[in-house]
Amino acid sequence: MPIGGFVITVTPSKGQQAVRALSALDGVEVYGSGGDGEVIAVLETGTSKDMERLVDRISAMDFVASVSLAYLNAEDEMLQQ
Amino acid sequence: MGLSRREFIKRTAALTAASCAGVSLTLPQAEEAQAFDADEWVRGSCRLCGVGCRVELGVKNGRPVALRGVPDSKTNFGYLCMKGMLFYKLMGHPDRLTKPLYRKSKKDKFKEISWDEALDIAAREFAKAVKTHGSDSVAYYGSGQALTEETYLFQKVMRGGLRTNNVEGNPRLCMASAVGGYLTSFGADEPIGSYADIEQATCFFLIGSNMAEAHPVLFRRVMRRKLDNKDAVKVINADPRISPTSRVADLHLQFEPGTDLALLNAMAYVIIEEGLYDEKFIGQYTTFRMGKKEEVSFEEYRSFLRDYTPERAAAICKGNITPDKIRTAARWFAKSNATMSMWTMGINQRKRGVWANNLIHNLHIITGQLMKPGADSFSLTGQPNACGGVREGGGLCHILPGHRLVKKDKLRHQVEDLWGIPRGRIPAKPGYHTMAMFTAVNQGKIKAIWINCTSPAQSLPNADLYRKGMAREDLFMVVTDIFPTKTTELANLVLPTAFHFEKTGVYGCTERRSQLTWKAVDPPGEAKPEVWIVREWALRLAKELDDPVIAKCVAPFVGKEEQYELPEAIWNEYTQKLTKGRDNDLRGATYRVLRQRPDGVQWPAPTEEWALKGGTYKKFVRGMDPLADEHAKDEKPYQFYGPAHPDKKLWIWLRPHKGPEEMPDAEFPFYLSTGRVIDQWHTASMTGRIPELMRANPYAYVEVNPRDAKRLGISPGDMILVESRRGRNLLPAKVYEGPVEGMVFVYWYDQHEDRLINRVTKDAFDPGSKEPEFKICACRIKRVSGPKVLKPYLASITT
Repeated sequence: MPIGGFVITVTPSKGQQAVRALSALDGVEVYGSGGDGEVIAVLETGTSKDMERLVDRISAMDFVASVSLAYLNAEDEMLQQ
Repeated sequence: MGLSRREFIKRTAALTAASCAGVSLTLPQAEEAQAFDADEWVRGSCRLCGVGCRVELGVKNGRPVALRGVPDSKTNFGYLCMKGMLFYKLMGHPDRLTKPLYRKSKKDKFKEISWDEALDIAAREFAKAVKTHGSDSVAYYGSGQALTEETYLFQKVMRGGLRTNNVEGNPRLCMASAVGGYLTSFGADEPIGSYADIEQATCFFLIGSNMAEAHPVLFRRVMRRKLDNKDAVKVINADPRISPTSRVADLHLQFEPGTDLALLNAMAYVIIEEGLYDEKFIGQYTTFRMGKKEEVSFEEYRSFLRDYTPERAAAICKGNITPDKIRTAARWFAKSNATMSMWTMGINQRKRGVWANNLIHNLHIITGQLMKPGADSFSLTGQPNACGGVREGGGLCHILPGHRLVKKDKLRHQVEDLWGIPRGRIPAKPGYHTMAMFTAVNQGKIKAIWINCTSPAQSLPNADLYRKGMAREDLFMVVTDIFPTKTTELANLVLPTAFHFEKTGVYGCTERRSQLTWKAVDPPGEAKPEVWIVREWALRLAKELDDPVIAKCVAPFVGKEEQYELPEAIWNEYTQKLTKGRDNDLRGATYRVLRQRPDGVQWPAPTEEWALKGGTYKKFVRGMDPLADEHAKDEKPYQFYGPAHPDKKLWIWLRPHKGPEEMPDAEFPFYLSTGRVIDQWHTASMTGRIPELMRANPYAYVEVNPRDAKRLGISPGDMILVESRRGRNLLPAKVYEGPVEGMVFVYWYDQHEDRLINRVTKDAFDPGSKEPEFKICACRIKRVSGPKVLKPYLASITT
C-alpha cells in the first residue's frame, strides 16, 4: 500500500474549493495549504497503479495546475516483488 | 499515545511535501516521523530526463523501499515527476539481464556464459577486426545515459588504445545541433545561465519543446512563475503542435513544420525595425557573420532581414501565424525585463538545426537578453548525462574530453600527454558521426561495434535500413544494457550492467551541473558496472593485440575496488587532468565536494573552495565566473572567453529560411513529426516495464487534427496506415486538436514492429551538426479499419 506526499498546485483563487474537493476523494488526505495555491496532500492507495490513477484523476480537475510528488514509500510492494 | 507505523509514514510524506512548497505544517511527533521509514537514505540524481532532479533512495535491508526529492536542491527543490517517482522499480525487475549471453551467429539462440568467457570473446573479436581490417573497423556507440566515468573510459580505450575516433553516442540524435548553435553563436558549448533564471524571467519563449511532458519538474517552475505573476510574466509557445505546454501560454504560435527559421528572422526584423535592439550591447560584444570568416555590418544584417517582414513570414509559416502575432511576440521578447528561451528537439532535430539555434541566440544577442538575471538562451537536454558525459567527456567522434577538438593537433597532443601515451596515438581525423557510423556498418566497413546503454535499432531514423547492417553476420556486436531491447535482438554478445543507484558515478545535467549518485543497492545476478567491464576488456585487448599502450590506458585503475574506488579514480583523472585549463574546469568538483553538496557543482569550478559554493551560476560574467576574471582582456563586465571564437565576441548570424529535406507532395501529403508522451521515456525499455506508466500509454497513437480526420473519415481509435517513402506503421488514431492541420504526430517509444515509427522517419541530417531531421518528413495516412484490440510489446531475449 504505497503512500505518497504530493504538492498539488491549484488556481490560487480557488484554494478553499480545491481543498474541499480533494478532501472528498477516497485515498486523499489534505494536510495543509499555502496562500499561493499549494496544497499538501498525502495519497494512500492499494497499489502504485491505483496511485497513478488517482494522480491522473486529480490532474484532470479544472482548478489543478500540476501534481508534483515529493515523497513515496512503497515498502510493501517492493518487499513483495 | 503512540502513532501507528503507517501514520508515521503518512506524516513523513506530508512533511516532506510541505518542506518543498514552503508550507508550514504543525504535526505532533513530526521529528520521530521523519526518521521512521528507511534504514538509510542514499542521495543521487533521477535516472530519467535531463533536468537532473535530486532524489534520495530509501533503503531497507538492502532493498529500495522509498524515494523522496531533495528540498535543498536547486534543480528540483524536492519535487519529482511520476516517471521519477517510479524508476526505482526497475532495480528488482524480473526482466533484468543478469548473466552474459552469447551467440556466434545472429541466427542462433543466446546461451549463458561466464564473464571470463564473455570478456575473452569481446577482446578477441575486436582484436581480430583491428588486425584484419585496421583500427577504423571498430566502433563504440554510447549514450547520454551512461555515467561520465563510463563514457570517459570507453573513449579513452577506443582512442588511445585502439587508435580510432569511432566514438559516438545517441546525443548526436538529440542535441548536436544545440552544441553547434552554442559554439557558432557564443564560441562555447552549453548554456550561459541556469535554471535559476526561471524565477527572474518576465518573458518565456518556449519553442520546439513540450516541456510540460518532457521536463515536467522544470516546467512546474515556469508555471509557478507565471501563476505568481500573471500579468507581469508572458509566455510565448511556438510549436506546430498544441501540447500541454501550450496551456500556460499567453500566445501560441502554431506554424507549419519547418518554417521556424522564417518566424525567428521575422521576429528579429521587427526588433530591428522598431528600434527594440540593444545598441550598446551589440556595439560592445558582437559581430555579424555570413560565414565563419565573413564578417558583415549591422546594415547588411538589417538589409538581409527585409526578406522576412511579418507579412512575408506569416505567408511562409501558415498555421495560425499572422503578422500581428509575430510583432507581438517580438515586442514581448525584446521589451521584457528578462527573457528566457527554452527549446529541445523541435529545434535540434532539423536539417537546419544549427541555424535554428543560431536564430534563437540572435534574438537574445540583439536585444541584450543575455547575461542579466532571468535572461538566457537555454537549450534543454533530453538525457541525464548528454552534457556531462558525452559533450564534456569526449563522447562524440570529433571531440576529446574537455571540449577539445580532435582535429586540433595541439589539443590532441595535450590529451595524449596527459594520458601518458605516445603522441600520434590518437588519429588526427575525427571518426564516423552516428549516421556515417551506421552507414559504415551497412557497408561492411565496421566489423565490431560496442553499443552501450542505448538502442539504435529503434532510435535511428529510417531504422529498417540500419537494422539490416546491424543484422549482418560479419558484424560482431556487443550490447551492454540492463534489459532486452530491439538492439539486443541483433547482438552477438549481451552484457548485463548495473543500473542507477547500483553503481557510483556522475551525471552532468542541462545547466552545467555535475551531480554524484552513490551506490545504494547491489546489482542483480552477475550484472556489473560498465567501468569494470571496460577495464577488464581493455586488459584482455592489450594481450590479444600485444599492445602495452592499451594496458596503459587502464593502468591507473587496475586493482581498484569496482563500486566506489574505480569510478572515483576515473573521475579524478578526468577532472584533475583533462578539464584543467578548459572552459568546463571541474577540478573543484571532487567526489568529496560532490558528496557534501545537495545539488552538485556547476562548472567552471576550478577549486574546491569555489565548488563548495555551488560553482558558477552564470558563465562569462566577471565576479560570478572565475574564468571570466582569469581570461579578462579588458574592463568590460562580460568576457566571452569560449574556445571557438578567436575574437572573443558573440556572433550574430545571417541565416536564411530553409525548409525541411522532404516536403509533403501529392503522393505523401502530410507532415509527420514524432515526440514524447509524459509517461514514457525514449525507447520504453525502462518505462515500458513499469506497469503504472505503461497503463497510461500502452501503445503509440497517431495524432490527427480533427479537420483532417473529418475529411478522411477517421474516427478515434480507427487503425491508420502511416506510410512514407521508407516504411510504414499501423497505429490507432487519436483525433486531437494538437498537430496543425496537414500534420500528424506519433509517439516514438513503442517497440512493436507495427508501431516503431522510426521505420517511417527520414535520415536526412544537418550538414553541420550531423543531427537527423526526425521532426519532419512527408507521409500519407489512410484509414484501414475500425478500432482493434492491441497489446503492449517489449523486446525479449530467448536462451
